[in-house]
Amino acid sequence: MNTSKLSFALAAALLVNAHLLRAAELNTNAAVRSCCAAKEAGGLRPAYADKSLYQVESQWTTDGGKPIRLRGLAGQPQVMLMFFSKCTSACPILLNDLKRISAALRPEQRAQVGFTLVSFDTERDTPAALAEYRQAWDLPLKNWTLLSGHSDDVLELAALLGVKYRKAAAGQFAHSNVITVLNAKGEIVRQQIGLHEDIRETVQTLGKLVRN
Amino acid sequence: MKGTSNIQRQAARPPWRRPARFGRWLRVAGCGLLAFVLNAAPADMVLIANGVYRPMFRSAAEPKAVPVKAFYLDALPVTVNDFLGFVRANPRWQRSRAKRIFADESYLNNWAGDLDPGINAPARSPVTYVSWFAAKAFAQWKGQRLPTVAEWECAASASATRPDGENDPRFQAQIQQWYSRPTPAVLPAAGADTANVFGAHDLHGLVWEWVADFNSALISGDSREGGFSDRRFFCGGGSQGARDPGDYPGFMRYAFRGSLQADYCVHNLGFRCAHDL
Repeated sequence: MNTSKLSFALAAALLVNAHLLRAAELNTNAAVRSCCAAKEAGGLRPAYADKSLYQVESQWTTDGGKPIRLRGLAGQPQVMLMFFSKCTSACPILLNDLKRISAALRPEQRAQVGFTLVSFDTERDTPAALAEYRQAWDLPLKNWTLLSGHSDDVLELAALLGVKYRKAAAGQFAHSNVITVLNAKGEIVRQQIGLHEDIRETVQTLGKLVRN
Repeated sequence: MKGTSNIQRQAARPPWRRPARFGRWLRVAGCGLLAFVLNAAPADMVLIANGVYRPMFRSAAEPKAVPVKAFYLDALPVTVNDFLGFVRANPRWQRSRAKRIFADESYLNNWAGDLDPGINAPARSPVTYVSWFAAKAFAQWKGQRLPTVAEWECAASASATRPDGENDPRFQAQIQQWYSRPTPAVLPAAGADTANVFGAHDLHGLVWEWVADFNSALISGDSREGGFSDRRFFCGGGSQGARDPGDYPGFMRYAFRGSLQADYCVHNLGFRCAHDL
């Protein structure tokens, strides 16, 4: 009895999912249309594009203790990762993926690309802890930004990036593994999902975003 | 304490710790506190008492029950009329002005215009076609916040007569019935059902509701500690990690939240606000 009822519930859940995914697809198409229509109309240009992450007002702190808004990252493409420094499983692999991406860029490209790590762990990842992390992982001072912030703002950024996470047992966070490429205006142009993925497409995307 | 008489026990305590006096004091203080709390409740909100949230899925290392501190919750979902006040005061949240990153193309889709809900969005019906960002902005505008999953589930597990409605088979059957009915094209007014024991209406049976941490349901993605992988959720033995394989509405809410993105605006998805004590 339980099995049949359960499968009903799961089927229903899947239907809900499928419906929403379809809705999402339609929305993407609509968004593309609306962007072009706006351009043609030649109306007032907003300070930031409709899809730019840099519209949010949240305040962050770098590992150097400097306050910053996300729009402080504007002007060059950013490779963004949400992580936490005490992570013992996925994050080291993701960080390695970032380093692989960086290494695959030509030096003149690399100089134009930012890498931004934002921590889920608002309690333990203080600027000082992140500074330590930068050292431990030997992350270059130039172009690599490590951010900590308030939990509400972390939640909002995760929502913007489509990253799911929750605090799990033993001070760990369960989270999706997503590396996001933002263009200079802060729009999402590519998301690489998973661990130790093929980085070629991400590198290509970045190559197109910088002056070559 | 076995074998000691009441008198001996009382004598061993200072006067203010003696049960009789303490009890009286406690009653007086309790009444005072209750009156204070009732007076202090923000308008149109009800007090949700201390409770426990039993996560739908958890890993072996995580607790079965998470304590939820008492909080205030809107008695009703936010209505079209409430939201009209919000968009009047915050033009950037009007339908034609909202940024696409914060609300998809369907934002306030059933309204006739920026400041005109029209016939498809009656004033007293719950506002829907609102994104998580819009819901959050509304709550902030009111000096409130969205409830967490734990808080929402805690409030919604109460039946009309008891806070632990999950142990009330009739209440469970009722919810399942509600979930089996399709959402009408024009939503009815909020508050028509019987309030739950806390005085909250429509937590079931009218619309789904946004919660602050909607994006904490990891249906796919990282599967730390084996708790949240696709396999665990969807396969034959999948109910193993689940709290109660018979809680179909719980499964549906979990799955629904898991499939949401923060900019989605959907016909049967509204919200209500919460407030700390």
